Amino acid sequence: MNVIECNRLTKAYGGAKALNNLSFKLEENKIIGLIGRNGAGKTTLLKIIAGFMKETSGEIQVLAEKPFNNLTVSANVIFIHDQMNLPTALNLKEILQAAARFYENWDDELANRLFDYFSFNSSQHYQGLSKGMKSTFHMILGLSARCSLTLFDEPTTGMDAAVRKDFYRALLKDYIAHPRTIIISSHHLNEIEDLLEDILLIKDGKEYLHLPVADLKEWAIGLQGKTAVVDEWTQNQEVIFTKSIGIDQSYVVVRNHFSEADWQTARTAGVVLTPVTSSDLCVYLTSKTTGGIDDVFN
Amino acid sequence: MMSLTKVRLTDVVKKQYAYKLKAYIQVFTTLIALQLLAIFFSLNGVGSMGSSSESLEMDVHYYSADIVVFFTMLWSFIIAILITTKAYRNDDFVFVTNRVSSNLSNALFLLTASVIGGVTAIMSSYLMKVIMYFFVDAQYLNGTSIMAAPMEWLLGIFSTTCYVFLLGALGYWVGTLIQINKAFALLLPALFFGAFIVEGTGTAKLVSTVYDFIFTESSILLFIVKIIVIAGLLFSSSMVFSNRMEVKQ
Repeated sequence: MNVIECNRLTKAYGGAKALNNLSFKLEENKIIGLIGRNGAGKTTLLKIIAGFMKETSGEIQVLAEKPFNNLTVSANVIFIHDQMNLPTALNLKEILQAAARFYENWDDELANRLFDYFSFNSSQHYQGLSKGMKSTFHMILGLSARCSLTLFDEPTTGMDAAVRKDFYRALLKDYIAHPRTIIISSHHLNEIEDLLEDILLIKDGKEYLHLPVADLKEWAIGLQGKTAVVDEWTQNQEVIFTKSIGIDQSYVVVRNHFSEADWQTARTAGVVLTPVTSSDLCVYLTSKTTGGIDDVFN
Repeated sequence: MMSLTKVRLTDVVKKQYAYKLKAYIQVFTTLIALQLLAIFFSLNGVGSMGSSSESLEMDVHYYSADIVVFFTMLWSFIIAILITTKAYRNDDFVFVTNRVSSNLSNALFLLTASVIGGVTAIMSSYLMKVIMYFFVDAQYLNGTSIMAAPMEWLLGIFSTTCYVFLLGALGYWVGTLIQINKAFALLLPALFFGAFIVEGTGTAKLVSTVYDFIFTESSILLFIVKIIVIAGLLFSSSMVFSNRMEVKQ
């Protein structure tokens, strides 16, 4: 079963289209990375999935229902983001108790253990927390709710490195114990790529790539060597990124269509072939120009 | 696949209602403060008359909880607007909700707040009597007591609650309109005061018609029907208006 199905989903704010004919399908029980630059439409997409917003046109089905104003979707989806409105009159423990009453699969034990582990205090109030602590508290809500579909929008904002690591580990452990669909949008792809099974890359409100992380690692290849030689090799290839290094040297990233034999000949011609990390590749793919920021200065 | 949780609207509304009684507790602190202030204002009496002859001087002061009731109605209007604001509205969306359940639980919350407001407003007259007994030098003449007229007393509480709830419904409606478009924040007060000005010129009797319709009904049954219909219309139209509203942070 597909957890989410989008067909030509469009969301316009005034004239600007945050999502533009986005179509994709997400399978259940996977951890999916939603990757894109600032303003690519990640948050808008998550808000539509959570039923916070209504699409301008196109179709979306979440858990086989339309998400907007839908109680079933609301009960089975939790959307964690860094601008959550939590009640100011309740202390942290009371907020957890309130959440426990609303979410049927809520795991009280997990919530309390995480609460103690991250040394929260029962009598603390949400608005008194630091940014990182707020994110940590959101994470406790998101994991303990055990919703069939869990959405994390930039969950690690403000967290320090140690807490981020703890979070990823907690997420993975809980996912293994209770498989469900989890979508994480993050800028730190290098940190989360080991967690992810699939990556959904969006650019300018459109689906750009949707494939397993393992495939993404072999999706492209970097060639480095003398400019003339590299240019020869990258002719008629799908160039993703170019950068000149020093005098007469350049680094070019292309779609990986090379065969084993090609690799050998390239090496003998003095071209160094290197794999491209997923996070670098995503940066290259989502940038507006093939030369990146360098183009501004050229 | 984890099996999907199926929820019923009534269950969600119940949960939200219980949650709101707890999370919105501050509004009752405001109520107490406002009512105490109103009692303080009332200690001067709401009306008085006096007469004197050569050897005798007499002052009669009327005391009542009218100011307290008025303040309570105002309170109800304001908290109703308050709970339509973004901070409160978006609170619901942290947990399980849709717009219908959110509106229904808000209406239930306002109804509860109105009962509490109505009861405390009427009860405040006893606090006033106690304060006056100690601090105001006056000869106590007459007053209504529960024992003398229990039905009147209950009726007082009931009708006060109804008025407080009506104002709450109105505030909720106004607040919802303002959330849909900020222009209503200017438009509605303009219409309100405009109606008074038109009334003053004598060309139309809008304000007095509305006032008579709601506040001078002598049949209790008709009064209940009027309140239910008006509040129902206000809440249901608020619900229709807000049903397509998006959650924006």
